[in-house]
Amino acid sequence: MTEEARKQKTQSRRAFLKGAGVVSVAAAATTMISADTAEASEAAPTKAAGYQETDKVRAYYEAARF
Amino acid sequence: MPDSSPTADIQGIDTPALAEEEVLRANIYALLSALLIAPPDEHILSVVKNLEGDDSAFGTALTDLATQARSTDQGDIIDEFTRLFYGHGAGGELHPYASFYRTGFVYDKPLADLRQDLGELGRARTDCTAEPEDHVAVLMNAVHDLITGTQGDKLGLDGQKDFFDKHIEPWAGRFFGDLEKAENAEFYRPVGTIGRLLMEIEDRAFTIAA
Repeated sequence: MTEEARKQKTQSRRAFLKGAGVVSVAAAATTMISADTAEASEAAPTKAAGYQETDKVRAYYEAARF
Repeated sequence: MPDSSPTADIQGIDTPALAEEEVLRANIYALLSALLIAPPDEHILSVVKNLEGDDSAFGTALTDLATQARSTDQGDIIDEFTRLFYGHGAGGELHPYASFYRTGFVYDKPLADLRQDLGELGRARTDCTAEPEDHVAVLMNAVHDLITGTQGDKLGLDGQKDFFDKHIEPWAGRFFGDLEKAENAEFYRPVGTIGRLLMEIEDRAFTIAA
């Protein structure tokens, strides 16, 4: 695939996900969950966004252990 | 906890940031995972109460879930979770396992195949939950990790599509549809809708990118 074709597919994909409501909707969840894990992001400021949230999920796993 | 291992930390650094839409879809997987592994605690409920969707079908389901979260007592949600999921053969209405949906039996070949593929992707079994890897919540979390590169390398869209086609598409939409229609589902009904629609959106989005 040429660079141009790849770029175009990425743009089509982005447009589709936005139109489907995933992007605008998810933004709210991201912001709130990230804010709650601010400590984690301070410890690792260069990590990609979204990383910190998994700690949260794993915390639920811990809580769900039985 | 396993996720604080040095390896995971090192791999998170210097990794190019994901495009916004990829981070956001990963977060929807994380949200579904958090809601389906256990009843929501105060924190997750506060997040859910503030969700705001746009006027798409998916956005409407998110808004419905927020409305449910604001109008339902936490205790009632816990009871509902128990009625819906409490244990295979222990009276739960639904059995949220890939293996069960695909063969009628838990711990069957789909689970074995999934374990093998997760192993090959460098995702060894952790002891974070008693549930097997093909439990919907564990699987949704695995997808989140593969998208974001948590606990190992990021998996590109081609790899994600293969994983989706093999382990998720054959059953997850049906499970979420069942959750939507479950007799005991009230708070979890829009969770089912969100999951069902996400599976449809993902299927289509992978095709666009292929």
